[in-house]
Amino acid sequence: MREVFLPRTLDELWDLLLRRPEAAIYAGGTDVLVKLRAGLISASGLICLERIEELRGVRDQGDEVYIGAATTHRALLADPVIQEYFPVLIQALSVLGSPPVRNMGTIGGNVVTASPAGDTLPPLYVLDAEVEVRWGDGAKRLPLSQFILGPGKTSLGPGQLLTGVRLKKSADYNVHHFEKVGQRKALAIAVVSLAAVLKVSDSGRIEKARLAWGSVGPTVIRSVEVENALEGRIISRNTLGRAAALAQTAVSPIDDIRASAAYRCTVAGNLLLRLINYAR
Amino acid sequence: MKINFVLNGREIELTVPSDIRVVDLLREELDLTGTKESCGSGECGACTILVDGQSRLSCLMLAAQLQGREVTTIEGLAGDKGRHPVQEAFVSAGAVQCGFCTPGMVLAAVDLLERRPDPSRSEIREGLSGNLCRCTGYQKIVDAVEMAVHREEG
Amino acid sequence: MSDGRIPQIGVVFPRTDALTKVSGEEKFAADYYGRDLVWAGVKRAGIPHARLTSLDVDQARLVPGVIAVLTHRDIPGENRQGVVRKDQPVLVDDKVRHAGDALALVLAESKPALAAALNSIRCELEPLPGVFDPEQALAEGAPLVHEDNPGGNLLLKAEVKTGETESAWEECAAVIEACFETPHQEHCFLETESGWAKVESDGKIVIVASTQTPFRDRTEVAQVLGRDHTGIRVIAPYAGGAFGGKDGISVQSLLALAALHSQSRPVKMWWDREESFSAGTKRHPARMYYRLGAKADGTLHAVEVRLYLDTGPYDHLGGAVMTQAVEHSGGPYRIPHAWLRGWSVYTNNPIGGAFRGFGVAQVTAAMEQMMDLLAVKLDLDPIQLRLKNAIRRGDKNCVGVTLTGSAGLSECLEKMAEHPGWQERQTWIRAAGPLKRRGVGLAAVMQAVGYGPFVPDVANAKVELTLEGKIRVYSGVVDMGQGNAATNLQIAGSILSQTPAQMELILPDTDRTLPSGSASASRCTYTFGNALIGAAQALKDRILQRSADLLMAAGPDELVLVSGLVRRVTTGQEIPLAVLAKWLTDAERIAVYRFRAPVAQERPAKDDQVRLHGLPHCIFSYGAHLAMVEVDELTGAVEVKGYLAITDSGRVLNPQTYEQQIHGGIVQGLGYALSEDFRVTDGLIQTSDLATYIIPTAMDVPDMLSIPVEINEPTGPFGLKGVGEVAMNGPLPAVANAVAAACGKRCYSFPLTSERVLQVMTAS
Repeated sequence: MREVFLPRTLDELWDLLLRRPEAAIYAGGTDVLVKLRAGLISASGLICLERIEELRGVRDQGDEVYIGAATTHRALLADPVIQEYFPVLIQALSVLGSPPVRNMGTIGGNVVTASPAGDTLPPLYVLDAEVEVRWGDGAKRLPLSQFILGPGKTSLGPGQLLTGVRLKKSADYNVHHFEKVGQRKALAIAVVSLAAVLKVSDSGRIEKARLAWGSVGPTVIRSVEVENALEGRIISRNTLGRAAALAQTAVSPIDDIRASAAYRCTVAGNLLLRLINYAR
Repeated sequence: MKINFVLNGREIELTVPSDIRVVDLLREELDLTGTKESCGSGECGACTILVDGQSRLSCLMLAAQLQGREVTTIEGLAGDKGRHPVQEAFVSAGAVQCGFCTPGMVLAAVDLLERRPDPSRSEIREGLSGNLCRCTGYQKIVDAVEMAVHREEG
Repeated sequence: MSDGRIPQIGVVFPRTDALTKVSGEEKFAADYYGRDLVWAGVKRAGIPHARLTSLDVDQARLVPGVIAVLTHRDIPGENRQGVVRKDQPVLVDDKVRHAGDALALVLAESKPALAAALNSIRCELEPLPGVFDPEQALAEGAPLVHEDNPGGNLLLKAEVKTGETESAWEECAAVIEACFETPHQEHCFLETESGWAKVESDGKIVIVASTQTPFRDRTEVAQVLGRDHTGIRVIAPYAGGAFGGKDGISVQSLLALAALHSQSRPVKMWWDREESFSAGTKRHPARMYYRLGAKADGTLHAVEVRLYLDTGPYDHLGGAVMTQAVEHSGGPYRIPHAWLRGWSVYTNNPIGGAFRGFGVAQVTAAMEQMMDLLAVKLDLDPIQLRLKNAIRRGDKNCVGVTLTGSAGLSECLEKMAEHPGWQERQTWIRAAGPLKRRGVGLAAVMQAVGYGPFVPDVANAKVELTLEGKIRVYSGVVDMGQGNAATNLQIAGSILSQTPAQMELILPDTDRTLPSGSASASRCTYTFGNALIGAAQALKDRILQRSADLLMAAGPDELVLVSGLVRRVTTGQEIPLAVLAKWLTDAERIAVYRFRAPVAQERPAKDDQVRLHGLPHCIFSYGAHLAMVEVDELTGAVEVKGYLAITDSGRVLNPQTYEQQIHGGIVQGLGYALSEDFRVTDGLIQTSDLATYIIPTAMDVPDMLSIPVEINEPTGPFGLKGVGEVAMNGPLPAVANAVAAACGKRCYSFPLTSERVLQVMTAS
């Protein structure tokens, strides 16, 4: 039998982490408990974060929005601040897993799992999200892109916990776009996904573009080159086509049971062509 | 470990292994076999229960997590006046075939209607999209949820 | 249902089982536990082909909580089972023939102890070269799956030849040739294989199993245990889905064996999803070579078909499925010259078995695409082409059998041609949004009803007037979700004029109900319904006759049976059924009736083995399907926006259960068409669970329209034919034809995943 702990405060948690450093940490259980069943985790103890109030909720802090790591996807979807400022994240959350998975799973879990297919990750990358990492007597902030190191790998050290995600409000973007290509419309793992935030002028010129792809590399892929190919140009088939070709060289997907690398590569580019829908 | 929670409206106290899955606790210890298991990994929704009114997958929850919660399983959905309107509508609309997805599907529908009292057909489909059914093709299930909405209104 | 109406034929009769299912009360086989429960589980091979050199279970026996570890040496009877050919070991004794083969059976006090013990079993398996493709398996020198099989890796070949298939081709104005490949399909019933068993104090072994075939299971288990079948009782509760995947043994023999070692404690076995995938049966993958020739006006003239079906390592129903595929391979058309061949071939892949459609889903996928290819080549309207050739009553079908039963394909197609979905398709197609292409596709379908000429398609119905005055209906055929149990109440209730509250239902139980065959082959209501009409009518006659005697009436004409009582209409006197029952002997209170389905008299295949495996049939259901699809140019994703099925399966007893079968079949077919990409590499399943094997969710399918064309089938109960399977056959070809119309190009391998479609769409 594994011991299951439900600390109520971070202080209780730090104490637990000292006592049971080998324990596996989970919040919603939609990832860790699946791995446990599959025998991929052999921890002798489990620490569930769902009761730690400090880790939950969205806080509007003026220029910045703080999301507690154990905030569920469902709570985020219903949050007016997230709805107002980060539609691209809402779009991704609305196609994440399924309703019960969204009721249970948390944004922190999605980040720490660090799957290249994690649905919230491309939006968080284009929004230049920062994460907050804390431990018994310290804390730090770092960009998400530095936190995630590879598939399933983060820079979290022993005794450390991802406690929150910080997003800067930006009035820059008037287009928030997310598209997930999965094998079906729900309960799907992304085969390719694209998050894009754009500032498009009244005349249809892309003044600023941030793009990120999921499931086409070891981590979320961003490409300044592709962003540059869009910035300063009018949205058109030609512009998007050129950017698509560049995107296909920027990604580095693998073959897996869901799709071939070649398909992912093609579609990673093709998804940019959908931005034609935002032409003025 | 000892846990206290409200199960289908009744407070209970149990001594259980803390890491027993909720689905096993319900089925094996409490004889509430209306909660089904079909995949064990959150991919099918057959084990759906309501925890504090929200749908949860009982195969991905451990008993310790029930402490202090209010749990509704399919057995506890009916009220004093009989079947829940969603249950009633599933029967009338022909939304039940083999019935193994039914308890989870009904509870998912209850959760949906709690959030969205008057959903469109596509919202119903979306709301039930975590619950696999292999018999019905889903259409009569969607019909049933619509019917439940109208019955509650009427 | 609770509204207390006497059921009638042809109107909605809400399913009585829905009440207990929706409340969670209904006990499926998986829901049996009980005090002092013992858990049983199986060690599986994990490699596809190997010689078993040693099996060390000593460590496993030492695991705390382990009660017993059994191997093939513990099997008291015959260690081979199978529906037709007995070629599958209960526990491997010589060779592993697929990765899901069972090596050892463990009984333990708890699930953790069971898991620990299974992990402690050490087996030495000497890998053997495997064979994973049916055509390669037939090549000389291919590794043999069964060294003792006289045909090598060939399980069964079926061949039918009509007309002059050599010279006919020269008379054709257009000839199309193509090869199609369809994959395994996993049943994905929600209740995985499960059961519970116990040795009773009298020594009888009781098995509660999720099965379609309790009576046949009893025989098979008896052989494995080496005892008489009377010492075994199989009870079949409502199954949590089956679709053919519970036709035959899964947990039954293992449970019975376990029960012999559990010291009279109940034993439970419940495969998890991964085990269900690995050890359960699947729809046979098929490679299908087609050649189809027609006259310039579209009149079909000749067809040549070669079908290779991969049955995996065991027959199961592989020979029968292939034979049925051959029988349906020319489609529901008149084709005077036909050369149809099929091979059911052993490989080291997962086991092929029965699955809704039973070989017909595969060949319809091919033939209906051939019809569209032909329509394009001859520049003919695809409905008109099908109508021109549609089989009618009195015609000979493609295996040369004269159709004596009802045949409504023409009516289905005519209705389709008039439907707005077809009439207004061009407008709909033109309305495609940016980066989308639309197409509309058709398929004509058929499905045989029943077992065919050799295996007796028999049902024995039993109806009882209980001492409490209720009508008890003994269902001989399993209800796996189709609703036939409730239909039985509807039939008996309508004949005996009883409300559901006045009736009781006994589900299949080898000790209580009478043998009535499998829940399969679109036969449940057709065959059992006919038997039940006979039994209910006999009981009604007896009730009225005896009531007439008691009331000193001139005869039963003065009496009517209404719910709960008999009324003498001439005087107003009434006898409650509970009173009447006491005037009858036990034997008089029970009526039984046997029905055997009609069989075709022709013998189209020279080989008697082919007849034994079910060819030919004489009663078929038909249909016309239409799919409206939208293809995404950027991703290749196919979305089905609309679906129409027009079906002739005779008269409709209950419009609701009828539609349930159509809807369910369509969606299972849409999964087969689009997303259910079951992958096996060198005998190992790559899509091993519901996260990787993609069945449709509620969001992946459209609202469907089902229109029945109700033509009376003279041999059917109330004019009905089977409807359980026919809808399964349409979606793949209808969608494929729609996608081909949208893209201007066609895929020949299935399912039509986004990746396949994008590849075909963009290939130069």
